[in-house]
Amino acid sequence: MNPILRMDGVSVTYRGSVRPRQAVIDANLTLEPGATLGLAGESGCGKTSLALAVLRLLPRSADVDGTILLDGQDIERLTWGGLRAARWASASVVFQGAMHALNPVRTIADQIAEPIRLHSSERLSAAVSRARVVELLERVEIPARRRDAYPHELSGGQRQRVMIAMALACEPRLIIADEPTTALDVVVQSQVLSLLRRLVAERGIALLMISHDLSVLAASCRRLAVMYRGRLVEEGPAHRLASAPEHEHTGELAAAFPTIGDTASRYQGAGEPVGAAGSTRRPLLSAEGVSVEFTDRHRNRVPAVREVDLDVTGDEILALVGQSGSGKTTLARTLLGLRRPDTGVVHYDGRPIPTSGRRLRDFRGNVQLVLQDPTGALNPRHTVYEAVAEGLRVHGGAADEAARVHEALEAAELRPAEEFAGRFPHELSGGQRQRVVIAGALVLCPRVLVADEPVASLDATVRGEILALLLRLRRERGVSSLVITHDLGLAWNIADRVAVMRAGAIVETGPVERVLIDPEHEYTTELLAAVPSFERSVS
Amino acid sequence: MTDTRDELETRGPASGPPPLLRFVAAKVGGGVVSLFLVAVLGFFLFRVLPGDPARTMTRSTPVSAEQLAALRHRFGLDQPLYLQFRDFLLNLLHGDLGTSYIYNRPVAELIVERIGPTVLLVGTATVLAVLVGLWMGTRAAWRQGGAVDRWFTSVGLTLWSVPTFWLGLLLLMAFGVGVGPLPGLFPVAGMSSPDVPPGVVARVLDVAHHLVLPCLTLVAVIYAQFMMVMRTSLLEEMGAEYLTTARAKGLREDLVRRRHAVPNALLPTVTLIFLHLGLVVAGAITVETVFSWPGLGLLTYEALRVPDLPLLQGTFIVLAGSVIVMNVLAELIYRLLDPRVRDS
Amino acid sequence: MSAPPNPTGVTGRRVAALAEGWRVYRADRGGLFGLAVLLLVVGLALLAPVLTRSEGLDVTRVRGEPLRPPSATNWLGTDESGRSVLLLTWWGARMSLLVGLSAAALSMVIGTVVGLLAAHFGGWVATLLLRVTDFFLVLPALVLAIALSTVLSRGVFTIVLAIGVTSWPQTARLVRAQTLTVETRPYIERARALGGGHRHLLGKHVLPAVLPLVFATTTLTVASAIIAESTLSFLGLGDPSMISWGSMLKSAMDTGAVTAGAWWYLLPPGLGIAIVVLSFTLCGRALETVLNPRLRGTRR
Repeated sequence: MNPILRMDGVSVTYRGSVRPRQAVIDANLTLEPGATLGLAGESGCGKTSLALAVLRLLPRSADVDGTILLDGQDIERLTWGGLRAARWASASVVFQGAMHALNPVRTIADQIAEPIRLHSSERLSAAVSRARVVELLERVEIPARRRDAYPHELSGGQRQRVMIAMALACEPRLIIADEPTTALDVVVQSQVLSLLRRLVAERGIALLMISHDLSVLAASCRRLAVMYRGRLVEEGPAHRLASAPEHEHTGELAAAFPTIGDTASRYQGAGEPVGAAGSTRRPLLSAEGVSVEFTDRHRNRVPAVREVDLDVTGDEILALVGQSGSGKTTLARTLLGLRRPDTGVVHYDGRPIPTSGRRLRDFRGNVQLVLQDPTGALNPRHTVYEAVAEGLRVHGGAADEAARVHEALEAAELRPAEEFAGRFPHELSGGQRQRVVIAGALVLCPRVLVADEPVASLDATVRGEILALLLRLRRERGVSSLVITHDLGLAWNIADRVAVMRAGAIVETGPVERVLIDPEHEYTTELLAAVPSFERSVS
Repeated sequence: MTDTRDELETRGPASGPPPLLRFVAAKVGGGVVSLFLVAVLGFFLFRVLPGDPARTMTRSTPVSAEQLAALRHRFGLDQPLYLQFRDFLLNLLHGDLGTSYIYNRPVAELIVERIGPTVLLVGTATVLAVLVGLWMGTRAAWRQGGAVDRWFTSVGLTLWSVPTFWLGLLLLMAFGVGVGPLPGLFPVAGMSSPDVPPGVVARVLDVAHHLVLPCLTLVAVIYAQFMMVMRTSLLEEMGAEYLTTARAKGLREDLVRRRHAVPNALLPTVTLIFLHLGLVVAGAITVETVFSWPGLGLLTYEALRVPDLPLLQGTFIVLAGSVIVMNVLAELIYRLLDPRVRDS
Repeated sequence: MSAPPNPTGVTGRRVAALAEGWRVYRADRGGLFGLAVLLLVVGLALLAPVLTRSEGLDVTRVRGEPLRPPSATNWLGTDESGRSVLLLTWWGARMSLLVGLSAAALSMVIGTVVGLLAAHFGGWVATLLLRVTDFFLVLPALVLAIALSTVLSRGVFTIVLAIGVTSWPQTARLVRAQTLTVETRPYIERARALGGGHRHLLGKHVLPAVLPLVFATTTLTVASAIIAESTLSFLGLGDPSMISWGSMLKSAMDTGAVTAGAWWYLLPPGLGIAIVVLSFTLCGRALETVLNPRLRGTRR
């Protein structure tokens, strides 16, 4: 049988204003009918360019070399008419971020029906195409009564299901899924993945799935290919790549998605409190019966955090895990004193946290925040030096400012500090920016860092370094961390204790080894089951 | 696998009264408040700010103290300010805008006489400008940076930079009076000729003949706004990912444009068009002045020369009020057109 | 990559950033044209008392024939009193630019303060400010300006005030939107967590991020202020003792220059307005392109 997709020596070059940029270099790929292939790589490695080249969807500034055979046809030689006929009928696409990939002002039924009508040889009656739309919606488990909904009326998971229904509309032989679940929550992600997996398997559709998340790909595809800086560096069966990677970069990607329960992926020093000074074991920052409510646009009071008790003791790393919308970020803001609890108290060092004035500022110096997106967390107009010194200046300035900034940069492993001090954020890599944010917190000599998804926007290779830095800060400077994350693997990597949050309440707290391996609450079990892992990959 | 959690995420309809009804009520209520503010502003501007309105109105003519006092009594200016304000509001509710100083007739009557010509001029010009502007904006954005785009943009920006009344004067000189060998092709003033043959057709043609120059002036100055708004808004949609989806489905480029890009770009344009209505009204004042078009603009001009404060107050309230009403209508229409705001 | 961290290095980078901005600006041919024209016009306007003699503006002291077409003595012809149209246009530029710039500055200050306060402080203050802004945004600005300049005493200050207090809502909306965008950036939250108060947030983060855009919009506001000035003068609401392009056009219409076919009297002041307004518009658009990288490539 002929392969459904064959790429021979494909290169993609973008003609830039300064110099051309090679996004894909000499890629060779073959996909047999009904086969599933996962294409993994960090952001900017060229994986999306490669996928869009299949249907010639790249912008005009892109030049494609080499041959791409889609279902035996050389797509570079197709006429525009031939290409339009091949699009969606031979291969369709599930784009990432369905919110933007769907037209916001047309109903979902309308958008699903569009390719059906476009690619059918005869004129379809309204009734026929409506029946087909309902059938497709049912197949992706969306009730038919929702067909007249607009994209914004659906949840993220439902929108992605609509994209899948749309991709199936013309019964293509290949579906290209570009980060189909990236913006989704773990539990919804696992539902959407299993749906996609099942549908392509049932109908023998070939699947080319693209993701930065090796575990997602391993759970859905038989073969994996890893892309690094525009080149395909490794290709092979999924289980082999995940368990015994040959290329160094494959190993790095795999390490970012640790297997929970595997002691090898526990970082050195995790779960081993130093406990030198005896006083450190008492709660440093604690919430007692804290509840926070929001007022929604209909003026209803919506509880975000309900009656939470949580202690962060000195010298520990506590991971607060939960799905998006579980209230974990709101709880963190409340612990930082950025939001006042509606009921309950937050104590720091045994005293309620002050609400205003100099004492609040002193408290702020002791409990510092590290945000998810280091690019946004730094003012693009300020140099690294100014960003780190900002805290000191807010707190009234320090005579030895330069020395303290230097020391904080070194502590955040930006060495030599002199070289970084004068740079602007855009001259740094993502990992370096996150170190600057951490240095900006360290300069005030805090005792607790509240880190909100500290590595979620970083590439796999940098992730490990930042996590190791948090561990080292605890070991060497006794800085405790409260790490807020949706990623159970992260908790397994570095945390001493885990608190699991659901719908505003904490359902389970305990040492990592106990909670993640032998969970007591059923919700924790459910969360753990949703984590894609190599063991459960298709056999 | 059942999908309960995913279903839970769905944003259900809000409880309480139907959102559309609440929205309409809120918008109409807001409009009423704005209209009241316009009335307050009108009172403040023309009764309070001048200090002594009687003296302001007579500043170009010598008057005796008795005449001034008589004038104050005639306009009720000898009463305390709060009583004046109360009477002003009560009269306004009854459609009484006071008496004009120069015409010595009720302001409301004068305004009603003049409203037709203005609606004709402004309405025709707006419709033409919107059509031309939207079409040109779409063309320009689709081939961005191309010859059409460059031409449309340059011409539009240039016309936008020209004062309305100056363009009117030039057109008046060139096509009304005639320059050199060129005879005057269009009437120079007014809305109709005295010597029109009887018959509806002849009269309509006569008015249309008079309408050409003022309308052309107004269109030339305002279409550029609409064109630039449409162009920018379409350019913003051009990078949208759903257009890639549409292309991936195999749609022809013109269908991608017609079915997906333009409808999305049109929505923000609608509100902006209505926001620019104030400019159209401003343009109408100068254009009517230049071409002696017997509408509200010319009435304003006649009033401000004296200045006839009651008459100015009347035109101010009517002009500002109508723009506010149009904007409330625009928001209601927009709401019906855009599903994203329809139920938020 | 390895610039020294000393202050000069930082200044060097700031200079480099400015140079980069200039490079982008330079690529905009319209912007360059506008800038060149503006420099020329402003220079000529400032030098008018040096290069010309103001006696030629005094009706009682001119000897020229009224409404004469261009000739060797009067290159652009004469007005109804026999004054040189060239001289009038030259001096009129001073007035138009002065009013345009001052009114735009006034509008910028009001707009920035209102926008900043409405966005930064939530609650009823913001609601009230927003309502007021929306009200004035919808209100026809020129009609309001006409009303103001009618009831107040005639003069340059009145005109500036009338235009300034009616043209700020656009700026306020823009500043508010921009402030709201900036305030969603995580670095604001970081600064707050570091302990920064309102003054620190507004002064160190929000204002520096908003000001460049305010500057670009103000350039565009100057353009519309000049048009508004000419319109008010044309309607006879300007300072009767001062010569501006608008008042020249008013005299032209009042004295029958149009019916007399005196094109030399109509063209110079109108072209003056059009060219200056166009230049400010082009500069403003070019500045926006420099400051808003998203517009780069979408405008040419």
